[in-house]
Amino acid sequence: MLNIDQVKLDFPILNQKMHNRPLVYLDNGATTQKPKKVIATITEFYEKYNANTHRGIYQLSEQATALYDGTREKVREFIGAEKIEEIIFTRGTTESINLVAYSWGRKNIQAGDEILLTEMEHHSNIVPWQLLAKEKGAVIKYIPVDKNGMLNLDNIDQYFTKKTRLLALIHVSNVLGVVNPIREIITKAHANGVMVLLDGAQSTPYMPINVKELDCDFFAFSGHKMLGPTGVGVLYVREAILETMPPFLSGGNMIREVTMSETKFEDLPLRFEAGTMPIAQVIGLGAAIDYLKLIGMENIWQHEQEIVNYALAKIRTISGVTVFGPDEKIERSGVVSFAIEGTHPHDVASILDEAGVAIRAGHHCAQPLLRALGTEATARASFYIYNDQKDVDQLVDAINQAIKILK
Amino acid sequence: MSVSDIYREEIIDHAKNPRNRGKLADFDIEHKENNPVCGDTITFQMKFDKQKKVKAIAFEGNGCTVSQASTSMLFESVIGKTSEEINKLSSEDVLQLLGVESLTPSRMKCALLSLEALKKAIKQ
Repeated sequence: MLNIDQVKLDFPILNQKMHNRPLVYLDNGATTQKPKKVIATITEFYEKYNANTHRGIYQLSEQATALYDGTREKVREFIGAEKIEEIIFTRGTTESINLVAYSWGRKNIQAGDEILLTEMEHHSNIVPWQLLAKEKGAVIKYIPVDKNGMLNLDNIDQYFTKKTRLLALIHVSNVLGVVNPIREIITKAHANGVMVLLDGAQSTPYMPINVKELDCDFFAFSGHKMLGPTGVGVLYVREAILETMPPFLSGGNMIREVTMSETKFEDLPLRFEAGTMPIAQVIGLGAAIDYLKLIGMENIWQHEQEIVNYALAKIRTISGVTVFGPDEKIERSGVVSFAIEGTHPHDVASILDEAGVAIRAGHHCAQPLLRALGTEATARASFYIYNDQKDVDQLVDAINQAIKILK
Repeated sequence: MSVSDIYREEIIDHAKNPRNRGKLADFDIEHKENNPVCGDTITFQMKFDKQKKVKAIAFEGNGCTVSQASTSMLFESVIGKTSEEINKLSSEDVLQLLGVESLTPSRMKCALLSLEALKKAIKQ
């Protein structure tokens, strides 16, 4: 069980008022707040260890390198990868997916090939593939969602053709919290000879992840959505695939030897980490992983179920409020997308803000999904480890207030 | 300023019952503008008279109270104005129409969508 009162104390930013009301931060799907330990780790790095990594022949640089590489091992263990060579640091999920599209995609996708996505995707898992498809003359296809926001997986084999090269899909929906049946999907994809990229931006912060058990070929996630700093993310690639991939960004740090005419590249994974990386942020991500492990990913997933079901039960009973997503009780991450009849989510968010409640309103970078749900925008409350039932109650009071003002 | 100031009766009324809503069959200018942050959109047509003043204007769109009310109020106010006069309108003029002193930066974009659309349309 999570002791939320105790957890809250670890997050200095939460101890403040917003418009004279206690701040209730419910935009965790966008980014999470940072615990003292993460902030202190970054400060400590700059006060004691700051130097560039991998090249300095002096103690500071060696310490910085050890901390940086040590985080790679933490990440490997956290997501159950086999080797540290399979863990590449990036700027975030978006860059991770772009890396795959640019490097693996440009080499392996040819004219007429099909890239399979789903209507549930975040724009970061649509746009890089559209650009690649345009460049190569490839075709993008989508697994549709029904109006409850569930992937239509009846007869899943129909989506795979002889031309399908890649299935890129979201693990957990950033709009609805729906968890896709990934293992079943990946088994089918592999049986059809199709590689799978998993967007783990909304699953890694909330549930235990094991990329070997999932059997995905690529797995992308961001540090800042799981208590870490912005500017750092991760791409996992199965080693056998990674070895065949040409470099993405190039320049310093990723080379063995450069002559005027050609370059020998560094071994994995440094081959994919060009230039000076966000060293302090990587190390901060390591501190975030330590913190999450201390709480326990199973406990976090349990907490998400409890708080989302509490919130769903309360919000669904408010007259004039529509909640998007499946009605039935299913396992889902702590996300509630809703709309107040006859109002625009932006107006709702403004009034909630005045009640101290920070939520997101808009299309959540998932316009195809919202259109499938029959709307252009929703209000979204997303919960994390420091949110409790009192926060939900303040949200519900604020929704009632918004209805009063806007109707 | 409290946010409830913007959600006064007059504003809600303009948002729920926008003036000049619809489509002109006979027009000189047509333009579409959207706010990428929230997906608010407006499409409008404008017709000028012989003195080059706005004779009629009509819009259709979807969006928040602030964007729809400001469009309704701004468009109502430009009837009888010339392109030059419209070009001189500022964000302060829109705030004045809305009857508020200021808005948060993100809501400012909602409020100014219609003015931006007008100015772009005239330029073209």
